[in-house]
Amino acid sequence: MKQLLKTFKVAFQAIFKNKTRSLLTMLGIIIGVAAVIMTISAGEGATKQVQDEIAGLGTNLLMIYTKTEHRAGAHVRMGRPINKKDFEMLQKNSVWISKLSPLVVSVAQAIGPNGYKSIAIYGVSDQYFDILSRDLLTGEYFKEEDVKNAGKVCVIGKTIKDELFLDLDPIGRQIRLDKIPFTVVGFLKEEGKGTMGQDQDDIILAPYTTIQNRLHGHRRGYDIIMASAISEDHIIDAKIEATELLRESHRILEGDENDFEITTQIELQEITGNITGVLTILLGAIASISLLVGGIGIMNIMLVSVTERTREIGTRLAIGARESDILTQFLIEAVTLSLAGGTLGVLLGIIGNQIIYKVTNFYIPTMLYSILIGFGFAAFVGIAFGYFPAKKAAKLNPIDALRYE
Amino acid sequence: MPSKKVIETKKVCRVFKNGEIEVHAITDVDLIIEEGEFVAIMGASGSGKSTFLNILGCLDKPTSGDYYLDGVHVNELNKNQLADIRNQKIGFIFQSYNLLSRTTALENVELPLVYNRTGRFSNSKELAKKALEQVGLGDRLNHKTNQLSGGEQQRVAIARALVNDPALILSDEATGNLDSKASIDVADLFVELNNKGKTIVMITHEPEIAQFAKRMIYLRDGRILTDEIIKNRSTKESALKDLELTA
Repeated sequence: MKQLLKTFKVAFQAIFKNKTRSLLTMLGIIIGVAAVIMTISAGEGATKQVQDEIAGLGTNLLMIYTKTEHRAGAHVRMGRPINKKDFEMLQKNSVWISKLSPLVVSVAQAIGPNGYKSIAIYGVSDQYFDILSRDLLTGEYFKEEDVKNAGKVCVIGKTIKDELFLDLDPIGRQIRLDKIPFTVVGFLKEEGKGTMGQDQDDIILAPYTTIQNRLHGHRRGYDIIMASAISEDHIIDAKIEATELLRESHRILEGDENDFEITTQIELQEITGNITGVLTILLGAIASISLLVGGIGIMNIMLVSVTERTREIGTRLAIGARESDILTQFLIEAVTLSLAGGTLGVLLGIIGNQIIYKVTNFYIPTMLYSILIGFGFAAFVGIAFGYFPAKKAAKLNPIDALRYE
Repeated sequence: MPSKKVIETKKVCRVFKNGEIEVHAITDVDLIIEEGEFVAIMGASGSGKSTFLNILGCLDKPTSGDYYLDGVHVNELNKNQLADIRNQKIGFIFQSYNLLSRTTALENVELPLVYNRTGRFSNSKELAKKALEQVGLGDRLNHKTNQLSGGEQQRVAIARALVNDPALILSDEATGNLDSKASIDVADLFVELNNKGKTIVMITHEPEIAQFAKRMIYLRDGRILTDEIIKNRSTKESALKDLELTA
């Protein structure tokens, strides 16, 4: 016991006498651990963000649109466009769909009291807000009457408000969309960046009838029909039912392919799940590489410093140190440096994640398992490569260790 | 009172195998060194003197033959027992000092006491300080080894060899890296230690240093060629005078 205490003293003496060597060893471990924590956490953060957003859309969403195919690099519509007839037919006959809204997109120049901007305007029905669960901050949604009368009203998101109104309260004020004045009736709650990075607050929503009549040059088709099933459990029923109703009304013969497509929220989730799965694997691979590189760095400095210290080991053996004294000393040194380096690496990783969050606003949860993997691996490599070369040296004849060049 | 045998070797051989080639470094060396002796071992390089001293110092084991150190049959000891023997019975001094770098003289000298398991030395700092004072470095206790001259470093190494109060001091070309003046100082220090009762065996290739000892053994090709008592021993004064004459 007393001997062990003495060995501790010797080990700490050796660490502090050789500050550069100790710091270099620790640096390898610090960077290795921090890199692993940050890459794994970034991957997890991205995955989680994507999943949260899709879940946030509501899981009973269906999107019905005309089938397109890639031809010579362009999307080409394959059937007749989804239109008012389809919309009304579904509204009348569907049992499992509770809410429906057409979606027509038009690009226009928007001019507000304090700014202007070119933007895609979404023509929707009053039910759209419910289907996509977009809440208001102030004002109100436009109503069924506005849709029926093609009223010149709109609801805007935060980015639009910031750019066109600055600090003015937008409610009751006007925006000119391609020279036609629209009154702002509602101001949406902030939603942030979407799954693919699009700004969900950079949005103007107006009755689809108005968009079609005033901005669209009387085009009759819809881009998409957005719908929600009466509940999450019936989303498949809703899809099957809508498919049958549309096939019937489009007079598609049995055995022929649909000229439209219906995508449900769940399918969307699966697709993005695949994408983020790939992302996670990719980042995992990067993390493994940084782990490997960090490990090799630690290994190198440990091997070099122990080889360099073979003579020191010889001296200690010659004046009466036992093999176990040497081993204990090097083990204590390796453990101390690995643990200190590992701890600093964890701190650096956590701080790094925080800095990324502060700078890019991209939230990275520091994953516990990434800390365990990074710390564990670095400690293992540090101790193994601090210990085994020392063991080899301590087993030498003292005279061979002393003569080592 | 019969003198105590500190060293007794019987037909000690050491053979190095380098692949197919066998090199006989030491062959059939019989030697008895008694307590209080001061022996110089001389010989050309390759005569086996360092190999022999390493065996005496328990840093290496003989290929055959028996070695008794202070009555202990060294051949039968395991690694840990050998380490303890080196620690408690032997003070070894090397040509290249082998001190720990970036470490103070005091800490270097204290080191053998750190590895001592007998519990005999509780006041290791005090003992280390005393040993350094004995070699005339009382004013250099907290100097780091790289701040000391070659002669001073060798004296730190000698203090380290003394600190455990060993039965035997072995010196492998302790003066090999030193200038003539510093060499004479070290040789004189050995004489002083020997006068206080320490048994000393030193290797040297400088006849004028060997002349400080009481007995000289000459090795050739791994065997003892001559073994005689030195009649006109040098002293510090005579050696310094000779140095002036040759200069």
